[in-house]
Amino acid sequence: MDLSVLVQLLLNGVVIGVIYALVAMGLSLIFGVLEIVNFAHGEFYMLGAMLAYFLSAGMGLGYWPTVLMVTALAASLGYVLYEALLVSLRGESFERSILLTLGLSMVLQNGAVFLFTTTPRMMLTGLTYRNVTVGDVRVSVLRLFALGLGLTAFAALYLILYRTRVGKAMRGVAQNREAALMVGIDPRAVSRLAVAIGIGLSGLAGAALAPVYAVHPLMGFSFVFKAFAIIIIGGLGHISGAAIAAVALGILESLVGGVLPLVMVDALAFIAMIAILLFRPQGLFGRGVRV
Amino acid sequence: MLKMRLILAAATLAALALHAFARADDKPIIIGSSIPLTGGVAAFGQHSRWGAELALAEANAAGGVLGRKLEIDFQDNRCNPAEAVKSVTQMLATKKYVAILDGLCSSVVLAIMPLIERAGVPLVVANASATSIAEKSGVGGNKWTFKVNPTDGSMLDALIGWLHKDGKANNIAFLGEDTDFGRAGSTGLENALGKRKLKLATVDFYQKGTADFTAVFTKIKAKKPAQLALYAVDADFQNAIRQWYGLGGGVPLTGRVLVDQVPKEIMESGFLDGTTSVQPYDPSVDTAANKAFVETFKKLHNVPPILISFESYETTKVLIDAIRRAGSADPAAIRDALVTTKLPSMLGTTIEFDDHNLAHNNAIILTIKGGKVVIVGLSKT
Repeated sequence: MDLSVLVQLLLNGVVIGVIYALVAMGLSLIFGVLEIVNFAHGEFYMLGAMLAYFLSAGMGLGYWPTVLMVTALAASLGYVLYEALLVSLRGESFERSILLTLGLSMVLQNGAVFLFTTTPRMMLTGLTYRNVTVGDVRVSVLRLFALGLGLTAFAALYLILYRTRVGKAMRGVAQNREAALMVGIDPRAVSRLAVAIGIGLSGLAGAALAPVYAVHPLMGFSFVFKAFAIIIIGGLGHISGAAIAAVALGILESLVGGVLPLVMVDALAFIAMIAILLFRPQGLFGRGVRV
Repeated sequence: MLKMRLILAAATLAALALHAFARADDKPIIIGSSIPLTGGVAAFGQHSRWGAELALAEANAAGGVLGRKLEIDFQDNRCNPAEAVKSVTQMLATKKYVAILDGLCSSVVLAIMPLIERAGVPLVVANASATSIAEKSGVGGNKWTFKVNPTDGSMLDALIGWLHKDGKANNIAFLGEDTDFGRAGSTGLENALGKRKLKLATVDFYQKGTADFTAVFTKIKAKKPAQLALYAVDADFQNAIRQWYGLGGGVPLTGRVLVDQVPKEIMESGFLDGTTSVQPYDPSVDTAANKAFVETFKKLHNVPPILISFESYETTKVLIDAIRRAGSADPAAIRDALVTTKLPSMLGTTIEFDDHNLAHNNAIILTIKGGKVVIVGLSKT
């Protein structure tokens, strides 16, 4: 294989991997703190992209204000979602959480189809058709922005979790909710914040990718299943594990897709997930203690 | 007195019977249609519906057929064969539909063909393009299925013939969705090239709904094909075309490229110059009937018709013509009338079915020159 082709495939893989990580980290955070598998997570990514499209095309907002506004609105939505729906759920009502989030996913997806139709839309910015070219290797500027946003989000989340009191509280609630309560941590406030950050990350992913991929109500569906596989591979509730697994999967998919038939690529995440479940059920980075 | 009462009762009964008879005769003729109204290709389903409704509105405005109004009952199949089997089974069970129109997706049509055959109700296909639909219809096969739009095989044969005469049919890479539509595209191209002792350079399929094509495009680009045949629709097409542009694909596209859906910026950049496409329709076809159709459609929906709307419009007209000539709303009589169809098409030919119940309308050969789509010819399929 030509070196430039290999570099192109690696670069494509890193970008896709970081995009996966943006969605998977939020999912992992919510599971880590609340022990809830959020089946509606992909729909928040879709709503983020839809909102970005309407803010940009309808209100003429630029790329960066759109990204900031969508992330803030998505985090607020997460805050409301927790108080309105998720507050009554605990780890022991796992089946209820699945039914609730699955139902929410259907309502959001079909609501978006009803309101916006399935016609694909594209968020156009002044950079939509701009590329960075080095030799034979090309990458669009907006993909590089998505890459930068993903890395920044990961760094910020890592700092919050491991360098702040709030992060310590989140990890405490994730490890033992009752013990956290006994030492004066409010599990409800911490859980609310975790959901707000998780949904905020989904919104950020949607806004970052709205100018990269076509925006339509069904776009979240395929992403969320891959994100589930990623958080299982990385270790349920392990944020860094999810991020590393996402980037590794992105690179693997790109390299395999560059050599083997593309239809085989989609199976990779699930083959890896099954292998992990068979040989290391706690995931690559899982140690039984989450977040 | 008794005699008087008997006469009155008889008169009342007669009046009621006459009224009931008159009401039965006034009942509309109902056509069933199973199309994707939700799901990934709902936008196409909407155009299919608009096309069929326009043909129906015109027929009803002219007094209907057999003195009765026509109606279409649209049901959603999400472009999913299982959903289509469910909705069509329910439609057929009610026995009120004189024919089933379309299905839109090839996989859907192939799934419902056995149902309509068992029920003895004609299925008139407008949009699904898989060659296997025609292969399984007519002589030695399903006598209830009629396909008005051309097959992929016949259209691609016309396109490859066109390219081959200029020596441009060599070294074509193929990328298509992993559905009956995409598979029919690759088979059609392989057959058309095979007739000219040529082969596809590479063949790749992707899962419908794939958002990222960068890996497969990097692979295809590295193989340096002369052209890329892209079989993608809707959001997949939008993602693919932008990513091909983003990676600087460097070669024109061919096959059934949706030239009318290429983003303006990419089209005007000249990046796709040299692209050739074969389509069953283009709104710029220069016939009086087509101009009138485009104008009416735009007035109604504020958007020009696409090939789906055209196909559904013309196919519905074929079905209405068959009902009229059948002289009855009996499905078997309508099927017999469909066999002898001779209806002028907006594309300048006469729609007639061959032994496989397949019509052979003109296909439009398009090319992109200087960032604009140009019709370079019509070719009989």
